[in-house]
Amino acid sequence: MDYPRFVRLRAAVWDGFEEKLRAAQRRPRQVRHDDLETMAFAYRQVLHDHALVASRFPGTGAAVRLRRLALQGTHWLHRDTKDHMPGLREFFGTRFPLAFRAHALHLVAAVALFSTALVFGAALAIVQPGAGTVLLGRGAVEDMRRGHLWTESLVSTVPPAVSSSGIATNNMSVAMTGWAGGAALGLGALYVILLNGFLLGLILATTLHYGMAGALLEFVSAHGPLEITLILTTAAAGLGMGHALVAAEDEPRRVILARAGREALIVLAGCLPWFVVLGLVEAIVSPAPGVPAGLKLALGLGLETTFLLLAWNPRLR
Amino acid sequence: MDDDVSSAATVLGLDNIPLELPVAGAGSRALSAALDYLIVGILTILWGAGCLALGIAAGVGWWALGLFLVGFFVIEYGYFAGVEIAREGQTFGKWALGLRVVTRDGARPGTAALLLRNAVRSVDLIVGVPLMATDALARRLGDRLAGTLVIHTHAPARETVARRTPRGWDAQDAALLEMFLRRAPDMDVWRAHRLAEQLLETIQADDPEFAAGIDRARDPIENLRQLVEGGAA
Repeated sequence: MDYPRFVRLRAAVWDGFEEKLRAAQRRPRQVRHDDLETMAFAYRQVLHDHALVASRFPGTGAAVRLRRLALQGTHWLHRDTKDHMPGLREFFGTRFPLAFRAHALHLVAAVALFSTALVFGAALAIVQPGAGTVLLGRGAVEDMRRGHLWTESLVSTVPPAVSSSGIATNNMSVAMTGWAGGAALGLGALYVILLNGFLLGLILATTLHYGMAGALLEFVSAHGPLEITLILTTAAAGLGMGHALVAAEDEPRRVILARAGREALIVLAGCLPWFVVLGLVEAIVSPAPGVPAGLKLALGLGLETTFLLLAWNPRLR
Repeated sequence: MDDDVSSAATVLGLDNIPLELPVAGAGSRALSAALDYLIVGILTILWGAGCLALGIAAGVGWWALGLFLVGFFVIEYGYFAGVEIAREGQTFGKWALGLRVVTRDGARPGTAALLLRNAVRSVDLIVGVPLMATDALARRLGDRLAGTLVIHTHAPARETVARRTPRGWDAQDAALLEMFLRRAPDMDVWRAHRLAEQLLETIQADDPEFAAGIDRARDPIENLRQLVEGGAA
């Protein structure tokens, strides 16, 4: 068959498919079952014509047009069905706990690294007290000498509306940096884990040196445990992605990577809402002198327990 | 053929029919990202101005600052994923450059894939371009994790499919004619007209009966188009 004859014979099918596809793209909700069936049938014909033209009449206008139609049809008619979006109940009841459990070993590694960095930071501050001044600044150290923590400015300079949103968004940024950095062979996650551990150790030891460790622990008791847990959990999920990049198993690396990425994303999505709660606690409860230390500690432990119970979900087999 | 396609990935579609995905290269993707960051910047400024106006008008300056911080975070982290989810894999920058995110099979990616590929964007700002430049499928880190590709979409406006050709012309001759008609709008007018007239003379010599419909008073390119696209044989 010659080229123009083939085009004249088949052009009506291509025109019809293109017209239906354009209408469906414009108003996807108005596509009826009959339209979809007609489109699917025409799509198959377009694909076959595309294959024929690509081999018999390559480089022609029909080949260009059919390739475009085949691509557009594939894009519109096929959807990645692996990505079913769960409801809140399914997400927090099943998906999140399963993903959290899958990262248990990475979390253990993250806690171990964090603890090591914390000890190192504390040791440095004990051996070299000037290191705390470098980190906190001379003003904060002078305040501690006078018996005041720099955290008191959280309530004295800005109202909770600003500090809570600033704290929540900053913590989310840190968590997302650690999580995303994990995809770079785990390096970003390691950086966040080690840096946070080191800084916490350094600050704790410095406040201990000035006799303010009790005040600092009282300040962090309401939000600190969960904040550290969340940062370590998201970083552990990042480590999971990095692990998949460097040590693929017996499946193709792209399969392992895609699975690791999706599980890590679930962990991140399960953790982020907690940062909003923590932002409010850190801005309103933690610096409030009127709230007893015991109540702050109870709140901190309560938040931590609630998160861990939800994340592990013991009822899930 | 498509001149702007940097490389192509072949996938097997329905009935094992090979389908070439015109993969977009690092250059066009970087340019589309630059456009998107420009939009993010404009949105942030507009949001800031809105919050400032609210703070002044309602006398709630601190609350407006808090609102600005939340909105800034949402715009910074949510623009790319949000727009790609809402617009079937096309941010406004990608739309401007004719790019689209698809799965490795050319299908529509799911929400999780679009979220995932954008969640690691901060890392891709550093490693993305080198990764794209060294990968045959120009995938950045986010694409590898989400199993996605970015491809060129084609504008159908300039497509020309010959329904008639002079007697004795084969598909290669037709392809040449169609390619000329596709590219003519980009050529110098005098050069395009001269080539069109040469083609018309060749048609006249090869098939005088076919060339009977040529109206010499008309634009030679339109004449050619009318000859090969219009009417039945």
